[in-house]
Amino acid sequence: MIYTILYGFTIGAILYFISIGLSLTFGTIRVINFAHTLTYTIGVYMLLTFIGYFKGGFFIAGSLAVLVVIPISYFIERFIIRRLYGESLDYTFLATFAVSLIGVDTIKWIWGVNPYPLSDPIGTYLAIWGLTFPLYRVLIVLIAILLFFALELFFKRTIVGKIVVAALEDKDGVRCLGVNVNRYFSIVFILGSALAALGGVLYAPISSIHPYMGLSVLLLAFAVVIVGGMGSLRGTFFAAFALGMVMAITARYWSQGAETMVFIVMAIVLIFRPIDI
Amino acid sequence: MTDFLVIAGCFLLLTPLLAIHRVTDFMIFCIFVMSFDLMYGYMGRLSFGHMLFLGTGAYGSGLFIKYVTGNPFLAIFMGIFAAGLLGMLLGTVAVRATGACFSLINLAFNQIGFFLVLSPLRGITRGEDGFGVRVSSFGFLNFANPTFKFCFVLLCLLLVFYILKRLTTSPYGILIRSIKEDETRVRFLGYNTFFYKWLTFVIAGCVGGLAGTLTALNYNFVNPNSMDVHSNVGVVFASLIGGAGNLYGALVGGVAYMLISNFLPIYIHRWEMFLGFSLLIIVFKFRRGIWGNIQDIWEYIQKRKGGRRPVEEEVAKK
Repeated sequence: MIYTILYGFTIGAILYFISIGLSLTFGTIRVINFAHTLTYTIGVYMLLTFIGYFKGGFFIAGSLAVLVVIPISYFIERFIIRRLYGESLDYTFLATFAVSLIGVDTIKWIWGVNPYPLSDPIGTYLAIWGLTFPLYRVLIVLIAILLFFALELFFKRTIVGKIVVAALEDKDGVRCLGVNVNRYFSIVFILGSALAALGGVLYAPISSIHPYMGLSVLLLAFAVVIVGGMGSLRGTFFAAFALGMVMAITARYWSQGAETMVFIVMAIVLIFRPIDI
Repeated sequence: MTDFLVIAGCFLLLTPLLAIHRVTDFMIFCIFVMSFDLMYGYMGRLSFGHMLFLGTGAYGSGLFIKYVTGNPFLAIFMGIFAAGLLGMLLGTVAVRATGACFSLINLAFNQIGFFLVLSPLRGITRGEDGFGVRVSSFGFLNFANPTFKFCFVLLCLLLVFYILKRLTTSPYGILIRSIKEDETRVRFLGYNTFFYKWLTFVIAGCVGGLAGTLTALNYNFVNPNSMDVHSNVGVVFASLIGGAGNLYGALVGGVAYMLISNFLPIYIHRWEMFLGFSLLIIVFKFRRGIWGNIQDIWEYIQKRKGGRRPVEEEVAKK
């Protein structure tokens, strides 16, 4: 049971990394970003490439992968997302989906379709009270909690964070103060994409790597964003861990039902608290 | 009347170019796109889980044939009935939502349905393997004959087209189009918008179910692919490429999409990339689709024809 809980926390942490960017773009620019987990997949494949160069230096390769994602996400923001501000929802939906189709196909072109295995980069176990935990998973959870506090600080203390929080509340109001809101949105977008890539890099050793891995995670991230409330930073944090726990506990008793249970929770939340955007 | 002849003629013209069973496939997809278009193009609700109804229709009729009787017409009725019932149930929940919420809740329902078919109901539906459908024949009403199948599907297509055409040009059709524009105002006029949205959801579900039953009868086979969440992209793409909010657009888009997805992968290896770029072009430059552009050109020609005379008269007066 304790292993199940740890597993739930790990999944929750990964979901948190991925959905925070989605939630921010949802809340600020009202764009349903289907291309969001594209950066997640790109991050993982970059990690694969760099790990070949650095002969197993996982953390160097991982941080390089996250850095490489930043210009790519800027490119996506500049040429696709920026044209979609204020567009009706279905078109943003389709344009970003098109971006993810192109991205996935490019990945298939470069790296091929076959799944790659990647082993646990640390491999040591942590022993507490006679129980052994894989250290890597504990590390993921710790990074997620650290990130949560870092983001809280970022949005409370720095001027960029404050502007974004204000824009989440009232975009036009902030614009009236003479702030170029779109520039800050692109910063938020890049931050979110980099965090998604970080999630991918951390999750890669404990899952399988294939070009479509982003799409399956994307639906889960949507569920997290909807359960947590769009554009709500704390809501996303708690929803991610709650849904991760739901997945882990369901998987323990009924392994096929894990992902579907998340959607059942999402449907129930939507029924009782419909959102209007 | 002429449009029916033109539609039937176009599909008949396609048969010598492609194989007959392929055209049957195209027509079934066109029925499905029309049902999607009623909800997306006319009512402005983009659903990302419309495959659920196709799958429900296919499984409803397939299971009926497998466990009850081999009568294909009863099975078609059962398939539509199952999809309609599901639409009635889910509609009460889904229709309250708008925009992104509507898309995503449908996606969630579709995912749940796919999972139900795949895993917990494995005993009945045979899970991933699917099951064969064997229908009995009555004289010349023989579903094993591709020509009969073609004629039957063509009849169904024309019937659906007729019904949807009548519906969308009726006051009801104008009402759902006004809901697309501004729902609050429609409610302000005293209409129960919830009921009309629900009704549209159910009708779209029933027509989608009909497409599903025809798919099952066409392939003589039902498997979870008929409910696959990722296939929804195809319908959305078809509806947009043809021009949303128009039944002719749905037909053109359905045929265009089927041509692209059937023949392009043979010639272009990176066809997903092509699909992505063409979606981007549609979204940024080509919003009205093929049929919308045809309409624009037609209107332009009409204006040139009709508009010249008064100007010429004025010139003559001067």
